Amino acid sequence: MNGLGYGVDGLSHWFVGIGMPAWLAVTMAVLLLWIAPMLVVVFPIAALGQIFERKIAAAIQRRVGPNTVGLDGPLRFAFRAILCFLPRARQDRVFAAFCKLPVVRTILKVSQRLGLGQLVADGVKMLGKEDIVPSGADGLVFRMAPYLALVGAFVPFCVVPFTQHMVMLETSVGALFAIAVSGIVVVALKMAGWGSGNKWSLLGGMRAVAQLVSYEVPVGLAVAGVVLWCGSMDLHVIVGQQYQPGVFSMVGWNLLQSPFLLLLAVVFFIAGLAECQRSPFDMAEAESELVSGFNTEYSGLRWGMFAMAEYTEMLLIGALFATLFLGGYQSPLCEEWIVGLPVLLETFVHLALFVGKVAVTFLVMMWIRWTLPRFRVDQVMRLSWLKLVPICLVCLLGLAVTMVSSGGTVLGAPFGRLPASPHADLGLIGRLVAWAIPVAVVLGLVRASRKKHGQLHPALRQLTGGGS
Amino acid sequence: MILAWVNDVYEGIGSFLTGMRTTGRFLVENLRNEGGAAALTRQYPEQPAEVVGDRQRGHLVNDAKRCIICHACDAVCPVDCFRMAGERDGDNKIRASLFDIDLSKCIYCGLCVRACPTDSLSMTATFELDPRHLGQRFLFRRNSSQLQQHLDAPDMDRLHRLAAAPREQLSADDRTWLEAHIDAEGPHLIGIYGLGYFTPEQKQVADAEREAKKKAKDAAAAAAKAKAASAAAAAAAAAAAAAAAAAAVPAASPLEPQRTPPDGASP
Repeated sequence: MNGLGYGVDGLSHWFVGIGMPAWLAVTMAVLLLWIAPMLVVVFPIAALGQIFERKIAAAIQRRVGPNTVGLDGPLRFAFRAILCFLPRARQDRVFAAFCKLPVVRTILKVSQRLGLGQLVADGVKMLGKEDIVPSGADGLVFRMAPYLALVGAFVPFCVVPFTQHMVMLETSVGALFAIAVSGIVVVALKMAGWGSGNKWSLLGGMRAVAQLVSYEVPVGLAVAGVVLWCGSMDLHVIVGQQYQPGVFSMVGWNLLQSPFLLLLAVVFFIAGLAECQRSPFDMAEAESELVSGFNTEYSGLRWGMFAMAEYTEMLLIGALFATLFLGGYQSPLCEEWIVGLPVLLETFVHLALFVGKVAVTFLVMMWIRWTLPRFRVDQVMRLSWLKLVPICLVCLLGLAVTMVSSGGTVLGAPFGRLPASPHADLGLIGRLVAWAIPVAVVLGLVRASRKKHGQLHPALRQLTGGGS
Repeated sequence: MILAWVNDVYEGIGSFLTGMRTTGRFLVENLRNEGGAAALTRQYPEQPAEVVGDRQRGHLVNDAKRCIICHACDAVCPVDCFRMAGERDGDNKIRASLFDIDLSKCIYCGLCVRACPTDSLSMTATFELDPRHLGQRFLFRRNSSQLQQHLDAPDMDRLHRLAAAPREQLSADDRTWLEAHIDAEGPHLIGIYGLGYFTPEQKQVADAEREAKKKAKDAAAAAAKAKAASAAAAAAAAAAAAAAAAAAVPAASPLEPQRTPPDGASP
């Protein structure tokens, strides 16, 4: 299963064979096979996310968004760098000839319409900015914080299965590891707030800590529900649990297994949104109240690292959401056939599907960001403790009841349609019942509550002219 | 209590979905290029700027052919945004050799337009700045050699032909020629942005102007003082002389209304 892991072994042996010391061989193999894909896959997607977000934000606000800076500038620069031995006029002529190629012309045009060059321009701008450390700042803490934020955002990716063969670390505590390591971001934000020597920053950092700590609870409970259902914390095993042969392989996804898992998915998404400090939960940088919160004093690349960490964390939440609830890298239809494809092709299809799922969650996150206004601090806390946590607890209980009442489980064995525990398969009728009962209960509760509380207070009704 | 809680969640989800539906509609509309951004946004440099109405004070334009460098505009300008100089041409008429409007100072009040005796100053109905939509007529800097260009018919044809073509497609020769001759005809905008934009020649002109103004001011002050001192003594004699002169002048010659450039330091 662990193709790349095997690759690391093989490659490091090969390096040793050509006369490298063992430590260097292993380091090189890890760099090439684990870290390079990370830099090649996650980094660019997180960076592209910023352009994506600007376009989406523009569309929602009925603007046009970046549409002027294309890739021709960076390309011309690259040409000049490569052809530096030629005179300037010759370089430009070669570049013009290159741009006349139909493919290149199309790419340049599309990149301009999408404003892709903005990415390069922003990056260069950030590189050129002055690196300011305020005089009252705690230098070491101030400088460390962005790196820690990046670490907290990137490291959890090593347990996320990108495809069947692209798992960096297959560990039996994958889900726990991802949540725990992404918790480092709390420390980073707090360090940024404290180290800046600025009251706004400090307030932002404190808010970040309060918010992240309380939202770890619903995230943890939601993941616990999935772990309960699948009988494993290994993310790759969890993905494997969601495999369903046949045309409609979607049926196997955790999201559609039980209404409780559906609810848990919603809770996980909301809490995840809060975890990565996205609007409407961006209490930590609330620009209308705290200037820019924890990153007020940061400029240039240090600020860029925080921005990068934010988008990477969004990616992480999307990846975890896809892994836990949307069947990971599996296709919604005909998964059976895709698994049978040649390895390289299968890996490619799976990777594309995974990135697609992450992109969809990404899109929904942006959609929410540009729809909702920011919550107040107390509203954020209330949502976590009074709404999300009770829902999680009820769902966990419901899941346990479903599992026990459908034939029970062997301790530690996975549940669902696993060959390991065929007796615990719900079957069609069992599944329908498992859906019908909770849905009926919820509908009944909603009905009753609407009957009792659904009407506006008489005084309010008079004010608003009726209606609820 | 549970019912109140359920109702709370229900209403929260409901209002959230309402909001999401609205923004989602905008999102889809805009991505499909219907209405929204496409209808509300004018892509400025690509599309020309909108004309709001005839009475809009868009840009200050000077028709250099009519301008006589009378400094009337300079006198009324509240922000001193003009720099000008004149020369006599072949017919001994004053012509503009330098007329700069500092667009970074101009407040578009239109006082100079009212003051202009020859209607050479006017304000356009559009605030267009992009030369592509102005028939290449906009100019930020202008020197006297450009103003004195006189083009014959073949030259004009060439000018029109070159001005209509995209600049990038012109040969280096054509481009230099065009840049040397452009704006030789018709009304045009002249402006400089900021003071850092002076060429060395312009700087000389401006300095000379300032110097001359200062001298004139000093001379006027000295003259006024002298006049005041001698006024009481020579009052009667002066009055008599003035009366004589007033009677004599109309008979002598039909005097043209003469507008001389006070300190026309031509480069």
